[in-house]
Amino acid sequence: MFGFGRKKDKKTKKDAQQEETAVLTPEDKEQIQLSISLKEQEFEQAAEEKHAKILEEIGMAYVELGDDDRAIDFLEKSIQIEKSVGDGYKNLLRLYNKKRAEAAKANDDKTLQIYLNKMDQLMQVSKDVTRGVR
Amino acid sequence: MGVINFIIENILTQASVTIALIAMLGLILQKKSAGQVISGSLKTMLGFMVLAAGSSIIVGSLTYFGKIFAEGFQMQGIVPSIEAINGQAMNELGLGRDIALTFLAIFIFNIIIARFTRWKYIFLTGQAILWMATMTTVFGYFAGLRGIALILVGGFIGGVFAVAMPAIAQPFVRKITGSDEIALGHFCTVGYVFEAGVAKVFGDKGEKKKSVEDLKLPAQLEFLQDTYLSVMVVMVPLYIITAAFAGAEFSSTLAGDTHYLMFAFLQAIQFVVGVYVLLAGVRLLLGEIVPAFRGIAMRLVPNAKPALDCPVLFPYSPNAVIVGFITTTIGCVIAMFVLPVFGLAMILPGMLTAFFAGGTAGIFGNQVGGRRGAVIGGVAHGFFITLLPALLVTIFNSMGFVNATATDVDTVAAALLYAWLIGPLLKAF
Repeated sequence: MFGFGRKKDKKTKKDAQQEETAVLTPEDKEQIQLSISLKEQEFEQAAEEKHAKILEEIGMAYVELGDDDRAIDFLEKSIQIEKSVGDGYKNLLRLYNKKRAEAAKANDDKTLQIYLNKMDQLMQVSKDVTRGVR
Repeated sequence: MGVINFIIENILTQASVTIALIAMLGLILQKKSAGQVISGSLKTMLGFMVLAAGSSIIVGSLTYFGKIFAEGFQMQGIVPSIEAINGQAMNELGLGRDIALTFLAIFIFNIIIARFTRWKYIFLTGQAILWMATMTTVFGYFAGLRGIALILVGGFIGGVFAVAMPAIAQPFVRKITGSDEIALGHFCTVGYVFEAGVAKVFGDKGEKKKSVEDLKLPAQLEFLQDTYLSVMVVMVPLYIITAAFAGAEFSSTLAGDTHYLMFAFLQAIQFVVGVYVLLAGVRLLLGEIVPAFRGIAMRLVPNAKPALDCPVLFPYSPNAVIVGFITTTIGCVIAMFVLPVFGLAMILPGMLTAFFAGGTAGIFGNQVGGRRGAVIGGVAHGFFITLLPALLVTIFNSMGFVNATATDVDTVAAALLYAWLIGPLLKAF
């Protein structure tokens, strides 16, 4: 009954895999690292209202590098300063779900619960941002 | 033997004890310490008691509202509130124990279906499962089921819905999010798919299709910032206007020494207080059970696709949420006046359902039929989610529910399955 979309399912999975396996050249990595360093310097000097945005950009750069833990760290800091539902939010949810799946496979209930709770918190952020709660 | 009989007849028949035992089971399975097991079980029991207290407050307020509405408008005015239905079913109707066991059974059936079929959805919205357990138990009871059959049938139907609804929504969710990793776990999916269908027929097509996301709309719904305040904004004028229509003479007989309009105002606030207390109870009740069982589910189905609450989609289409909320509200108001013409009860609009279900439906409508689809589909969705609960009013009344009907349309669809199919089949054989 729910077989519709199955072909697309395969296609989407293929796309996702392609994205995951998109290999960065050493030059690309160096470039991203450099942009992270520049963003970090910018963060030091920037006004407080720009902090969340810069942290999100650093987090997104780590997403590009495939450094999930650092990406989570910066994206969380960004959302803690200012709730938002942009690319940072979407990637954070994706990374939490990835960590959740890894914990489930490893039968690690403690980590599993941590990431399920973090996903709950993101649902609340989405509700709050949509309703204008700061 | 006497002690065992005492335990069975006096302790295990108590819904609060059954619920606490379910939480205890979950906590033991999670290998928690003795202290955590005891405190978690007691908190769950406390949650049930708080829920019961909230239900009593709501029933008091709704009883008053039912009387003034009948006097003022010569018809029944029904408040759509799944919380009120759950509270009354668990307490006033004495179905608390069965609902708690059905709740557990839905979790188990969800895990079994996800484990052994290719639909790997695990429904993570605990509150929605409680509402589903409420409706399958109430309508199973109405259809004539009792005891273990009531719980198993309810658990199976609820479990199927917990997998089927995310599965039905997933082709849309994939397009909205551009990913297949996360699913939608919200029991309003029948309404979302209905809106998508309307948007497909009446919406923009091909190159003409323009997304509402290209429009400049106010970014926030600030008037909805506080859940309870937004309920109050609807209930206060509703109660005061109804009291005014009922007239000073009649309303004063219910108001005692207080001025009748002031009394109506206070009763509206009482309703909100009831919802506040009841939901605080639900949070306490589910606070221990849900983490335990979803942890178990995720480990038993390691490749599961988590089905999350509806705000998971809001970031992908924020304008469509606003359009969906407004158009669904319009559809609800139209249905409120149209349905009584056809002999159905007047269903008053519910702000929270219009926001969460309407907002999410708007995303579906926009995805399928662009701006036109979101607007026309949204109004149709508002009408649809008012019509379905209206069909249940007669049954709710006959069972002794006071002036309320359910909201989340998937739970209503499950109820109608009992009322129109399972009940008649049981009677036939």
